[in-house]
Formats: sequence, structure tokens, C-alpha cells
Amino acid sequence: MLRYAAALTLASLWLCAPAQDDLMDMLDAQDVPAKEKTTATFKTTRLVNAHSIETMKEGALDFRITHRFGSVGKMSGGGIHTLYGFDNASNIRFSLEYGISDRLMAGLGRSKVKEHLDGFLKYRLLEQTQDGSMPVGLAVFTNLAVTPMADGDDIWRKALHRFSYASQLVIARKFSPSFSLELLPTYLHRNFVRAYTNPANGAPDESELFSIGAGARLKVTSRLAIIADYFYTFSEFRSGNTDMPHYAPLGVGIEIETGGHVFHLNFTNSSGIIENDFIPDTRESWADGGMKFGFNISRVFQLR
Amino acid sequence: MIVVLALGCGVVQAQLYTKKESVVRFFSGAPLENIEAENKAATSLLNTATGDIAVKVPIQAFDFEKKLMQEHFNENYMESEKFPYAEFRGKINEEVNFTAEGSTPVTATGKMTIHGVEREVTMEGKLTVSGGEIRLDCVFTVLLKDYDIKIPSLVMQNIAEEIRVNVEITYKPFEKK
Repeated sequence: MLRYAAALTLASLWLCAPAQDDLMDMLDAQDVPAKEKTTATFKTTRLVNAHSIETMKEGALDFRITHRFGSVGKMSGGGIHTLYGFDNASNIRFSLEYGISDRLMAGLGRSKVKEHLDGFLKYRLLEQTQDGSMPVGLAVFTNLAVTPMADGDDIWRKALHRFSYASQLVIARKFSPSFSLELLPTYLHRNFVRAYTNPANGAPDESELFSIGAGARLKVTSRLAIIADYFYTFSEFRSGNTDMPHYAPLGVGIEIETGGHVFHLNFTNSSGIIENDFIPDTRESWADGGMKFGFNISRVFQLR
Repeated sequence: MIVVLALGCGVVQAQLYTKKESVVRFFSGAPLENIEAENKAATSLLNTATGDIAVKVPIQAFDFEKKLMQEHFNENYMESEKFPYAEFRGKINEEVNFTAEGSTPVTATGKMTIHGVEREVTMEGKLTVSGGEIRLDCVFTVLLKDYDIKIPSLVMQNIAEEIRVNVEITYKPFEKK
């Protein structure tokens, strides 16, 4: 009798029509946690000086203008008589940067400093996933820069001396929708360096330079963020060189996003915009008012 | 006691149908720009015995032509990392004869959850039975402010306040595994 009752109970339970919430529970159970990739670790392909882990999406073309004014502080050639640097343009870079695929981008740019023409590739090697199975994203960056300047000091005997190459690994993690951090071990090779030496230790300028960069982004509202980056270069020549002081480039800024544009307003002590300039040649310091106001405009067009 | 149980569950046997194919599209028409996207990853269950229906849409599966727009949609507007799904759980109000071939206009009442906000809604649609498959067609309007989706004044000419959503789901009988 009891077995019959149990069987009937089970049968009637199975016959029970699941209510709407039960249907939703069944749909929830069907879900396989997808290895959804983390998106928008940063809003655009750069922070202040540093590249971010972001690349252009396939078929998207980014037209960028980066402008650096002169130094703000009097000690670094600024002060009221140059309107705190606004009278001067220490550097301007125009570039076109394109997404060949969702993971690979290429860019061509031209800077005012050294008339540097640069071409680069950035490739997303690994992508962070939302479920934490891949905790970081990884990208590789490589560029080539050439200076077509007139050889006033007669230093570039060979055309190849005008070239320099930078390579970089970008390791980034989106910690939360509002905070992302990245590390950038960078290697710069310059085909030609002038034979200066550091009076403090007799070290000559190095043609090979290794640096570690760090960058961060903190979102304040859905369209406004604070960004910052810093590069430390391991260089005997640059360390304690009172003859030719060199400083680490530090940049801070705010990032404003409006539809298809991302604007950066920032301060940095480097006039150099590309790695081949800001790593070896940052000659002003924040302490001496050597920071320069700058802005970036980035406009994205979807070509296909 | 057994009789009570049997009656309580309803004499009708449950007839579950699950999604075979689905397309969810939305369209925003604004002076400066039209925005549209398509999502083929929505899942759904329909109980033809009771008219209960549940639909679940993964927001990150909306495909846009402009990838930057897709990124903005997810990161800024829908905040899909916080709210990965839009859901509807409700009941079809009319009696539909699911054994007879043909089309029936129907309405469904239930809870719609978008961007983490739940609202009681009633929608109009059409159920078509053909060749052992059931097809649901539904067009409805979503008012962005109803679901706390904010449009900044700068892009007001680009994004409409009212979004038209099209849902087409084809169902097949649900096999218990």
C-alpha cells in the first residue's frame, strides 16, 4: 500500500506543471559558464604615454592627435611668460591606427620631436576571462621609428643610424569595472647613440635600454576616468647624471569618453610621445615644474 | 492525500517545449543615428499545458556592426558584466490549441527584467503551430528610463528613448535527459 502511494506521489509530482519560476530555474541550469572574455580593460589604446592592452577592433580606424605643450614651471622654461607652457608645442603626433583583426592592430604616426616616423604592431596574445580562468591579458607591441631629420651635426653616417626599435609586453588585469592595472616590460634598441658619458660613473649612453612601465585606470563615472603611467629605465648613464639629467616619465590625466571620441587631458614631464623618445630622452622633472599639459583626441571610424 | 496531491498538480500533463532557434533584434531610430543589433543566443522554455513561458537573453551576445558601439552598449549602457541577462517570466493569457495547425494572436503577462530592473508587463504576440513546431513572434517597445538605462545628453540625438524589440522563437519538444 505504501509503495503504491509513494509511486503515485512521485508520478503526480512528475506530472506537475512547473511554474514560471521553475521554468527560469531550468533555463539557468542549462547555462554553461561561458569563458566570456573581459572587455574594455581600458577605454582606448593608450594611457598617457603608455600603450594599453586594448587594440582596435577589426575594420576600425583610429585617427589620433596627441599634443604636448611646453613645460609649466619657470625653472623648466615655463612660467607666465610662456603662459605656463601653452605658447609652446613641445611635441605633436598624428597617427592612423587600424584593426587588422580583433587581436592585431597596426599604426603609422609622425611626431614633431626628431620628426620621428613610427610604425607599430600590437597583438593580443592572451585575453583575460570573466570567470577568472585567465586572470590577466597579455599583448605584445613592437615598433620601428626613423628620424628623417637633416643631419646638422653630421652624426648619422649611415641611414641605418636613424632607426630605433622598441618591443614591449603589456600585462594587464581588469580588477573591477572601474579599476584596471598594467605592467609593461619594455626593450628599446637605438642603432645610434651619441658618445656621452655620465660623469658620476663614467657609464656611456646605452644603445640597449630596458624599462618597466606601469599604468592604471580608475573610472570615476561611466564616462570619466583617471589615468596614470610611469616608466622606470635601468640605465647607468642616466642614473645620477648631473651633466645631463634624465628623469623617469610620469603621466597623470583624465579620460573623457563621448560616443565615438575618447579625449585625454593630461600632464606629463616627457615631451616624447613614442617609446623611442620618452624612454631615453625625458629631460625635465615634475619637481622642477617640468610637467607639460597635453591632450589626446581619438576618433574611431568603422571602415568595414 | 494522494488524490489531493494529484488534483493539486492539475490533471493536465505538462508539455514542455524548448527553443530550437531564436532571434532577438532591437532597433533604435534617432535623428543622427540608427542603432540595431541581433542576438541569436536567447533561450526559452514554454509549457503548452499551462501557458507558462520563460525567456532568457544573454546581453553580451548582441551583435553590432560597429564593434565600438557593441563595447559601449555593454560597458556603459547595459553594464552587462553586472547584469548579464535580460529575462521574461510570464504566462500566456489566452487558451491556445497547440494541437491544431495555425496562427493565434496572444498576449502574455509577467515580469520583465532588464539591466537589473524588474517590471510587470503585458505583451502582444503571435503563436504559430506548424509541423510539430511552435513559433512565437513578438514585437514590443522598451522605454529605456523604465529600466534605469541612462542616455547622456551628448548622445541624445543618437539614441532613441524607446527601443523596438523583435523576438522570434521556434520551439521543439523538450526532451528530458
